[in-house]
Amino acid sequence: MKRFAKVIFRTSLPLLALVALQPVIFASVDDAQSFALQAAEPYVKQGFQVREDYWGGDLGSGEKKAVRQQLFKGNEYWFWLGTEVDRAKVSVHVYDSDGKLAEEPDGWEKGHFAAAHVIPKATGSYFIIVSVEESPEERTHWALVYGFR
Amino acid sequence: MRPGQRGGSINVSQIVLSSDLCTAAVPVKVRSINPEYEPEINSRKCQMIPFTRHLKLGIGLLCGLAMCAGAAQAPQHIDIKQLSTTVEDVVVPLPNEIFGALNKLGAVNWKQHVRSDKGPNFTERPRIALLLGTVIADGFIAVQAEDSATVKEIGQRVLALAKGIGVGNSITPHAKAIVEAADKRNWENVRQELDRTQNSVQQAMNEVHDEKLSQLVSLGGWLRGTEVLTSVVKEHFSSDGAELLHQPDLLSYFLTRLKAMPEFNVPIIRQIQDALGEVKPLIDVGNRRIPPESVKKVNEITTRLGHGIVTRD
Repeated sequence: MKRFAKVIFRTSLPLLALVALQPVIFASVDDAQSFALQAAEPYVKQGFQVREDYWGGDLGSGEKKAVRQQLFKGNEYWFWLGTEVDRAKVSVHVYDSDGKLAEEPDGWEKGHFAAAHVIPKATGSYFIIVSVEESPEERTHWALVYGFR
Repeated sequence: MRPGQRGGSINVSQIVLSSDLCTAAVPVKVRSINPEYEPEINSRKCQMIPFTRHLKLGIGLLCGLAMCAGAAQAPQHIDIKQLSTTVEDVVVPLPNEIFGALNKLGAVNWKQHVRSDKGPNFTERPRIALLLGTVIADGFIAVQAEDSATVKEIGQRVLALAKGIGVGNSITPHAKAIVEAADKRNWENVRQELDRTQNSVQQAMNEVHDEKLSQLVSLGGWLRGTEVLTSVVKEHFSSDGAELLHQPDLLSYFLTRLKAMPEFNVPIIRQIQDALGEVKPLIDVGNRRIPPESVKKVNEITTRLGHGIVTRD
């Protein structure tokens, strides 16, 4: 009986460890997307339609990535960036095709959330620059969603 | 307090010189905080005596400023050519993203663009994918026209087409939600469900490594959206309306993807590829305006392609 208990204990130990480490092991871009959508939530009530499709990936601390997106004059856009790493600091900024900062001054950054607001002056391609400013992790998942009205 | 709820708020969006807050010599822009957190900062359970109130307000403000001051000001200009780490994935705009912008330029008679004919049943998967994208776009047009009956028909048609390419299971709940929302004339929900439908179809395709079919769904939707956009602008021309056609990078994206589909030996795919080559110089005009003749030409091309997508060879 004692031996049986030992076997149970030994086999359950790795399982317990797996359960405990699960958030670390299985953290993914999907988790980052959940946070980005969380940041977008208050804006839905203001009439913004948040797209289901999104961009995502992982970045090291201090790294940036550019996302190119077609925007239409007449619409108003918000881009929301999120990561599941709660001690990370992220930022998002939007530039037009000439490289000129194209965002409104009411964008915000708060820890692992950031958002940029754009009212395009012209229809065309814009560059959204996402950045992991600081993070305790070697690689930090990020996800960027956008909404328009 | 839930995000978005209104409370007494302090506007912390302002420019301050950073010298008092940190050692950086450049101005630091204190960015406004997420409205979600504003009510939390300003809410309190009981009335405070003035001194405590000032003290707490002061501490709160300092903490807020210290927290926000960490956000470095974004450069006013960057060199786009030096961006070597660009994400290649494109999120193709939804038809209603363009229709919304078009609506703001003046009233549009959306009813005249509603299309509800069922069309033929194809067996070739690339053709079904293109048609599916087109039908989803038709759903957005029917929503603009607030045509409940057509939206419901389209919901069923989308489901049938999704089954045709083996992704029906992921669409069933969305088709149901579209019909329910159309019954209630809840157009915002229908729009959201149409977006979800397209996303679920594409995700299901990507999971089985059918990314190319997924791209054809987007292309079908984009073509139908562009057909209607040019039709509206052609009838009541305005420079702002024509400017909505300025989508050269999106066109390049589709052209690149089509070139990578040699295995799809379907005439319509090659016709679209050739036609997009014709469209590109008409809309890739840099800072110049798109003239009425170009709008007319793009309309002719997209109408021809649209007819090809819904018609058996």
